[in-house]
Amino acid sequence: MSTEIDKKVDERTIDEDEKQTMKRTLDENIETAWDRLEAQQPQCGFGQLGICCNSCKMGPCQVDPFEEGPQRGVCGADANLIVARNLLNDMAAGSASHSDHGREVLETFYETANGESQGYELLDTEKLKNVAQDIGIEVEGRSNLEIAKEMGEQFLAEYGMVKGKLDFTDRAPEKTREIWNQAGIMPRGIDREVVEAMHRVHMGVGADYTNMLLHGLRTSLADGWGGSMMATELSDILFGTPKVTQSTVNLGTLKEEMVNIVLHGHNPVLSDVVVKAANDQELVDQAKAAGAEGINLVGLCCTGNELLMRKGIPMAGNMLNQELALATGAVDAMIIDYQCIFPSLPQVAKCFHSKVISTSEKSKVPGAVHKEFHPENAYDTAIEIVELAIDTYKERNPQKVEIPCEPMEMVAGFSVEAIKEELGGSFKPLIDAITSGKIKGIVGSVGCSNPKIQHDYGHVNLAKELMKKDILMVETGCAAVASGKAGLLVPEAAKMAGDGLREVCESLNIPPILHMGSCVDCSRILALAGELANALDVGIDQLPAAGAAPEWYAQKALTIASYFVASGFYTVVGLPPNTNGSQKVTDLLTDELEDVVNAKFAVEPDPKIAARMIERHILSQREELGI
Amino acid sequence: MKVVFADVERCVGCRHCEMACAVEHSSGKDLYSMLTDKPKSQPRIQVGLGIDLMTFPNKCQHCDPAPCENACPIDAIYHDSEFDSVQVEAEKCISCGMCAMVCPNDAIAFRQLEEDGNDIAYKCDHCLERLQEAKKPACVEACRTDALIYAEANELSNQRQTKLFRNITSQIRGGGNHKEIPKNIKSFKKLQEKIAQIGPLPSSKKREDSKA
Repeated sequence: MSTEIDKKVDERTIDEDEKQTMKRTLDENIETAWDRLEAQQPQCGFGQLGICCNSCKMGPCQVDPFEEGPQRGVCGADANLIVARNLLNDMAAGSASHSDHGREVLETFYETANGESQGYELLDTEKLKNVAQDIGIEVEGRSNLEIAKEMGEQFLAEYGMVKGKLDFTDRAPEKTREIWNQAGIMPRGIDREVVEAMHRVHMGVGADYTNMLLHGLRTSLADGWGGSMMATELSDILFGTPKVTQSTVNLGTLKEEMVNIVLHGHNPVLSDVVVKAANDQELVDQAKAAGAEGINLVGLCCTGNELLMRKGIPMAGNMLNQELALATGAVDAMIIDYQCIFPSLPQVAKCFHSKVISTSEKSKVPGAVHKEFHPENAYDTAIEIVELAIDTYKERNPQKVEIPCEPMEMVAGFSVEAIKEELGGSFKPLIDAITSGKIKGIVGSVGCSNPKIQHDYGHVNLAKELMKKDILMVETGCAAVASGKAGLLVPEAAKMAGDGLREVCESLNIPPILHMGSCVDCSRILALAGELANALDVGIDQLPAAGAAPEWYAQKALTIASYFVASGFYTVVGLPPNTNGSQKVTDLLTDELEDVVNAKFAVEPDPKIAARMIERHILSQREELGI
Repeated sequence: MKVVFADVERCVGCRHCEMACAVEHSSGKDLYSMLTDKPKSQPRIQVGLGIDLMTFPNKCQHCDPAPCENACPIDAIYHDSEFDSVQVEAEKCISCGMCAMVCPNDAIAFRQLEEDGNDIAYKCDHCLERLQEAKKPACVEACRTDALIYAEANELSNQRQTKLFRNITSQIRGGGNHKEIPKNIKSFKKLQEKIAQIGPLPSSKKREDSKA
């Protein structure tokens, strides 16, 4: 019996450090995503092929993939259109998620500018001025609050269609913008593109799959160069622009002798205030009075990445670690905001003393304690939440606590600004390393965990392979955390890199993979690519660069991959989007898009083969640039 | 001899057949009313996952002679001569499990038919009522990809042979005009095979290195 469980654990993850906890979930019947994946088998082929349309009440309709049975839904949509409708719908959902997160940061920023928030300040006023200048706001002789107020209003106007233009698109190289204008995919407003996408997927609107999917690219660009970029930039102004920082990662960051608070989700707006509250001496004393040595804050998913980047808070893990963290029995409170939070978390928490605390009006979870959070009384709510965590700690059963490992060291905090600083104040050394060939190219590897792929297998193997080929990785989200857990985010990991990359990393004392932040911070990758392309006087599509999402699951990841491609990155995804039901849509995405945006998607589950495909692309880009 | 054939190449795992079977065997033969049936109506066909994310719909194949019929100690299983099907007499069943033990297809489960009743032998009844009305079995009717076909065994075997002949000869010709599985579906299946290889679900190929 136990060998069967061991075998299962080996099949589910490559992360040795989490195996003990995973084994515990199987021994003690604590249900996890892996168990649910098993229970969901077989999963419907129509859905996986994208040829099931469940949008209207004439349906649901399916097209026979073997081309003999019905070839059109009741309305007359064929496989191409049904696949395109579903895909556009997903792109819109992804864009909406990141952008609505961005909106919440923007609202907090605007309230702070108006003196209406509690516990916030404009922390990075230098960045405030830089961004203001980027978007044409006068800074001379004006107070920070005045600048911030105008900036807030200007950005709020970009959500609708008051302006009809997104200021940050000006950061893209001119050649890239030309491509967008030519293809008719220059985004005009954040909400506008999402709403229009929802309009187009309605029966009787879009029927041309190419036209539908070009709008999908526009909707995605509105996220990458709009909502997500705002989320990043305004979070930097409010909470500080990340600088290179040392921290730790994995389930071993939970501490037996401390009150453990896990911050899980995506938005830093609440969690940043919780960090302040947890440092409040009165609360620390309360924790000590309860018998703990203090309060231990750790992050999960992208809320964790936001805190790691700016404050060096340790990370308990990535998306698939959320249930395992609870299964250590050491978590007193898991505070959730939104996105990628398993609705089943309270079920795992119930096996222990742990409490799940929901904080967003948008993301209520049955079984969780709801402490609704608003910027106006943020600090009071944060204190209440930390107090609840301390109270919960008193109920912890020490015999049920099993922390499986020691934490792994990692280095993070590589914002575009921090990279520049590490390079000595200019991107020139990096550009020189690229042109000389010491670094062959740059790959933005991003995206999620997906239980269909052995946990971290795709991320870690792609990273190791590319590193050997002298390709510098910039990572965000669950990809970066996977690398961190595998010990790849430390300068010493450069030993595993090819000679050229190793030399560069060792001379700068940086890891061969740069952790650039949360998944909205994929916008940092766009900004970095913009800087490099401008320096070389080319479009992003001409850079020796690529994108990858080896273990993606989310609609948000699909949108990121889409704005990567639309911005000019050749992007290899590890799992196929639900598009194989249409050869034409598959051809469009993996081939014909090259004629539109000079970049395309590729699908390759095997990370070693994906690495070879990326290397081939980068070498051919170099050849075309003559470097 | 008319039978339900399952074509593994064409099964996409949608489980339409399971749903249609459960509806057909519910009290009102209707999706919405089925939800309030007690005990709940359960399918008599099971779509399962094999290797490489391939799927297969499994059900009683109505053998003749049927091992279950022979094994049943109280003759609760009999052969219906009209449609060549194997039927369970629910009232007689003593839930001994002998039929399930000898079933070559593992197609016999035990379920309650009435509230507070015993779990009794539960398997495909060939949709006898539908056959009497000259309809196809519910699972066959529900299948969108012709992975389930109800046909004369010889006729179907002839049809399949014809396909085979054309496939083999067109391969020799190097292509030919015989309609094969569409290219996009072929590439999808290849991807599925790879995903199974690097994930926890059953795969035909062992990972060479499951550790990074």
